[in-house]
Amino acid sequence: MAETPKKRSKQTPKHQQHDLSSSNAITIPATPVALEPTPVRRSSRLYTTPTAATAPPPPPPRFTRRKSLNFTTTTPTPIPKTPKKPAPQSQEDAAKQISPISPDRYETRRKRKLDEEKNAGLAKNKDLKGGKKRVYYRKVVYDGGEFSIGDDVYVKRRENAESDNEDPEVEECVMCFKAGRAVMIECDECLGGFHLKCLKPPLKEVPEGDWICRFCEATKLGKNVELPVPPAGKKRARTAKEKLLSSDLWAAHIESMWKEVDGTYWFRSRWYIIPEETAAGRQPHNLRRELYRTNEFADVEMESIIRHCYVMNPKDFSKAADEGDDVFLCEYEYDVCWHSFKRIAEISNNEEDAEEDESDKDWNSCEITDSDSEDDTDYKKEKINGSQRGPSFGHSLAANLRKGQFFGLQKIGAKKIPEHTRCHKQTEIGKAKAMLLLACLPKSPPCRNKEMEEITAFIKGAVSDGQCLGKCLYIHGVPGTGKTMTVLAVMRTLKIEVDSGNIKPYCFVEINGLKLASPENIYRVIYEALTGHRVSWKKALHLLNERFSNGTNWEEENNKPCILLIDELDLLVTRNQSVLYNILDWPTKPHSKLIVIGIANTMDLPEKLLPRISSRMGIQRLCFGPYNYQQLQEIISSRLKGIDAFEKPAIEFASRKVAAVSGDARRALEICRRAAELADYRLRKSQSLNDSAGTRRSLVGVADVEAAVKEMFQAPHIQVMKSCSKLSKIFLAAMVHELYKTGMGETSFEKLAMTVSCLCTSNGEAFPGFDTLFRVGCKLGECRIILCEVGVRHKLQKLQLNFPSDDVTFALKDSKDLPWLAKYL
Amino acid sequence: MGLKNPAEQAVILLRSRLCNPNFIFTLFSDSPDSNYSKLKYIISSSVTESCNNSVLLLGPRGCGKLAVLELVLEDLLREFPDMISVIKLNGLLHSDDNCALKEIARQLCLEHQLAFSKMASSDENSQFLIAMLRECGLAHKTVLFVLDEFDLFAQGKQRLLYSLLDAMQSVTSQAVVIGVSCRLDADQLLEKRVRSRFSHRKLLFLPPSREDLQRLLEHALLLPSGSDLPHEFVANFNSKLLNIFADKMFKDIMDTVFNTDSTFKQVLTFLFSALCHLDLKRGFLSVENFKDALSNIQRQPKLECLKDCSILELYILVCMKRLEVREHETCNFNSIMKEYKSIHDSFQTTDYYARDVCRRAFEHLLQRELISFLDNRGHGHSIEFRPVKLLISWQELYQGLKSYGSCPAILYKLVERETTT
Repeated sequence: MAETPKKRSKQTPKHQQHDLSSSNAITIPATPVALEPTPVRRSSRLYTTPTAATAPPPPPPRFTRRKSLNFTTTTPTPIPKTPKKPAPQSQEDAAKQISPISPDRYETRRKRKLDEEKNAGLAKNKDLKGGKKRVYYRKVVYDGGEFSIGDDVYVKRRENAESDNEDPEVEECVMCFKAGRAVMIECDECLGGFHLKCLKPPLKEVPEGDWICRFCEATKLGKNVELPVPPAGKKRARTAKEKLLSSDLWAAHIESMWKEVDGTYWFRSRWYIIPEETAAGRQPHNLRRELYRTNEFADVEMESIIRHCYVMNPKDFSKAADEGDDVFLCEYEYDVCWHSFKRIAEISNNEEDAEEDESDKDWNSCEITDSDSEDDTDYKKEKINGSQRGPSFGHSLAANLRKGQFFGLQKIGAKKIPEHTRCHKQTEIGKAKAMLLLACLPKSPPCRNKEMEEITAFIKGAVSDGQCLGKCLYIHGVPGTGKTMTVLAVMRTLKIEVDSGNIKPYCFVEINGLKLASPENIYRVIYEALTGHRVSWKKALHLLNERFSNGTNWEEENNKPCILLIDELDLLVTRNQSVLYNILDWPTKPHSKLIVIGIANTMDLPEKLLPRISSRMGIQRLCFGPYNYQQLQEIISSRLKGIDAFEKPAIEFASRKVAAVSGDARRALEICRRAAELADYRLRKSQSLNDSAGTRRSLVGVADVEAAVKEMFQAPHIQVMKSCSKLSKIFLAAMVHELYKTGMGETSFEKLAMTVSCLCTSNGEAFPGFDTLFRVGCKLGECRIILCEVGVRHKLQKLQLNFPSDDVTFALKDSKDLPWLAKYL
Repeated sequence: MGLKNPAEQAVILLRSRLCNPNFIFTLFSDSPDSNYSKLKYIISSSVTESCNNSVLLLGPRGCGKLAVLELVLEDLLREFPDMISVIKLNGLLHSDDNCALKEIARQLCLEHQLAFSKMASSDENSQFLIAMLRECGLAHKTVLFVLDEFDLFAQGKQRLLYSLLDAMQSVTSQAVVIGVSCRLDADQLLEKRVRSRFSHRKLLFLPPSREDLQRLLEHALLLPSGSDLPHEFVANFNSKLLNIFADKMFKDIMDTVFNTDSTFKQVLTFLFSALCHLDLKRGFLSVENFKDALSNIQRQPKLECLKDCSILELYILVCMKRLEVREHETCNFNSIMKEYKSIHDSFQTTDYYARDVCRRAFEHLLQRELISFLDNRGHGHSIEFRPVKLLISWQELYQGLKSYGSCPAILYKLVERETTT
């Protein structure tokens, strides 16, 4: 969820300082060693030209050089990207302009990309012949700027555009057209900068919240506004940001960088796109500084990079208050083939993965990456083909087959980002609801410190021993006590330690027993997780046996210790329990380096199993007890920290209720969420009825929690009994009467029918006939208010109340239409 | 076609109304306490606030659980176009986990125009499901899983429910699981670990109250004034109908219907049946129509069965009854024959049939389920030796004989004697 960016105050002095320091950095010739300790070859190409503090001279256009690459002579050069539309002349235009969609741009780009991929292929062939290789880098110092993988940069869009030559780092004021050192304020609508003193009336300081300049306000009201005209002879210098937003520049994400055989430096860019250039156009909820990440890549010469910009996710963006002019927000990815949007998945995760990849890769050899990129191109071509041919593609690319890599998932995306997801003003209750979601997991589970320490100690002991004999941990506890979450939290913290080098690396495999199609499939899953190959489970069992028991290691790097987390362990119990035995037997083997952590609900699972299994599993156990009410209270309030939505007694009430029943944290959270929902519903209702009701309390109170608890725990049968038809009520009353008379829970339909007819005749009701009565009984049986046999048995059908007779008494005692029923209850 | 007769047109209009649950339940959708608005709030809040939910719709059959759900879905699909995809499963068809996963994958593929393969294993399908949930969540699309006959999904290991609910609590997904069941204890059927992941929103659907029923009658049967029907016909029709509504007899009829089964479905079937009895020449509904419908709707199948029996079959039933009264625990064809013979001997009746004929009558009774075998064992035995039981009580038998046109007096007497002793 994007937050409104805080007021961005443009403090020019600070900005300039920053520039100075950066220019200082440029003048110092950075040595490769100083920059990075890893043994990576790197070129530091420094220009000797001294750079001015504010505007570094643009690099001389050297696009012609690109042509000298012998293998690209036939293809058009990729760099000169001729703009398809004339650049708007002034910033005012840019602010108002909702640019038309220019789909042809993608066409050309895609073609170019394909050409380039061909080139890449050619290059590789050539490399093989000539024995020369591309050299990949992680960090390149080029043109006085230091670029590393993952940076975002401005990229030139046009060749020889004169406006590219000017690159003012400081924006000019809209009113007075001077940069100056005074504090400037940014309009949230047009992004124009204003000196505080230039405003009418002048402001003393930057206000909190959104601020919109009077020009934008006026245009909103439909008036014609004339913006101040710049003094004659002075052309407005546009900043890189403005150029980008008026599509004169491109922003790109550096994916990889390399030096070609001929010594030129290239990088693979992932383009960003401004909202105007998407198929949906600029939508009202788009922020001015918003960009979309595309799924389009291109190889570009480093020459065309202008300088850094900073594209951030919403969280960072909202924090970045005054980090200069080159800050952008990117929350969504834009698919250029399907013109659809998709949120960018958790960035932290991706980054972690990427980091891992980096550490694994040998950056000096290009073989891996080359093959990678070739795979990529294949995949992309496939994709394009697929999009043309449509769903008649046959089984090989069916979406639900793994072979197709879930082919076609990229198709899924919103054609437009729905506005309501971007509405930034959430109520307190809304925030609370979001926090109480089960899916939003806290970083570390509260109230489970002891258990966490124990698990950490167990894993650390097992991993660092190096020989880990028979290491096996059994974790049990009722559902919703944070077993899996705690283990995963421990694994996360350990991963950080691995990254920092404190612990030896290990591999971690997580399996859920209930998600396996059959218990035997676990071998396959383990094998696939360890090696990435898919084999049948029998073969996998054989190979795993070989690895763990006989100690024949496949490869050097696979000799890491392996931690196996099996959730819902009880589902692996087969008839002869061989699956469990095998898995628990491996750790005891001398060279296995296998650690098994099993999680299940039942405390006595090891005891229920064969002794040879329980002796292997039951040694080390950890119990997750149900949470008590203080712990539940802490869990809930830790989630609701800083959100004023719940009354304190409400939380306590909910946690006490749950602690009394199950101690299930999920349940407690759900109750609170439901209570918040109910309160929200109530508030909306009262708002729609009459506006004056806003004076009522907007907090979630004990009453709401009570309603939620009732809904969750109370069986609805009493309400159904109260509202069912007259004959059903008589039927139930007769059942209770029969129960009291005979003392037997079970009765047959024949006897019951007699009782009913007795009741009816003595109280002046018409007896409806056996068949009708029978149907009524079957209806009650369907709802499981009574338990009954199949209807074929008719007279002999056995009947029994499914609920205590007191419930029936309670429900029917004061029914208005049948006051005489109370006599028989 | 040229429908000249306004009555014919009116009947067609009213019938289409009664058969269209959407029309019936829009009546109850406006009040904020109705299930409609509650359900809509739950689903739409999970669409707009991108959260996961699981709801159970409980209530006796015929109370409009699915109808209200359909109404809500229709509204939401209109309100949030292509942000919602609905996956519908039925417990009767998909209670097997693998089959259900395959069906989910199929419907997801269909919804998003992806190629679907029947060959995919259930592992692949479940991974596909999780990947899809994630992608849909990222694209702000909500997936609604409607599980009809929810109780049938709660059999076995409940792998489907577990993986759905677990995905909902761990992946960045936007999904709502809606279980529809007539079993009030449906949530108790869930396994502990599944129940813990279930978010336990419950909506209870109850039969309509008297006031609702009155509103429903007017809503469904009164003709609209602004239609293409002739104006005076509409006015006439409606005024007659209002007269009927005020009629004491009509009220009694409605009470009888309502007393036995007060669900929407029953009332609608009743009204439909009454409408079918409408005399097109007269063109208006009358109390007689409703009376006919009542007799139509309150069938007594066992009694009617008795009416169709032959005299010999009645003899066999009476013999069985006599044996039962004399506390013979079980009887079979042979003992019945003995009893039949003794009746014949002691009362010198005229109808005595050969054993083969009796046996055919006996088999006929078995087929009509007026009597049945006591147990399913002994399929190998001949019919004559398998124990049988009477399935109707003596009151029913007595009533049946009374209403039987040409019942021999002796049979009647015999049954009467049994009741007095």
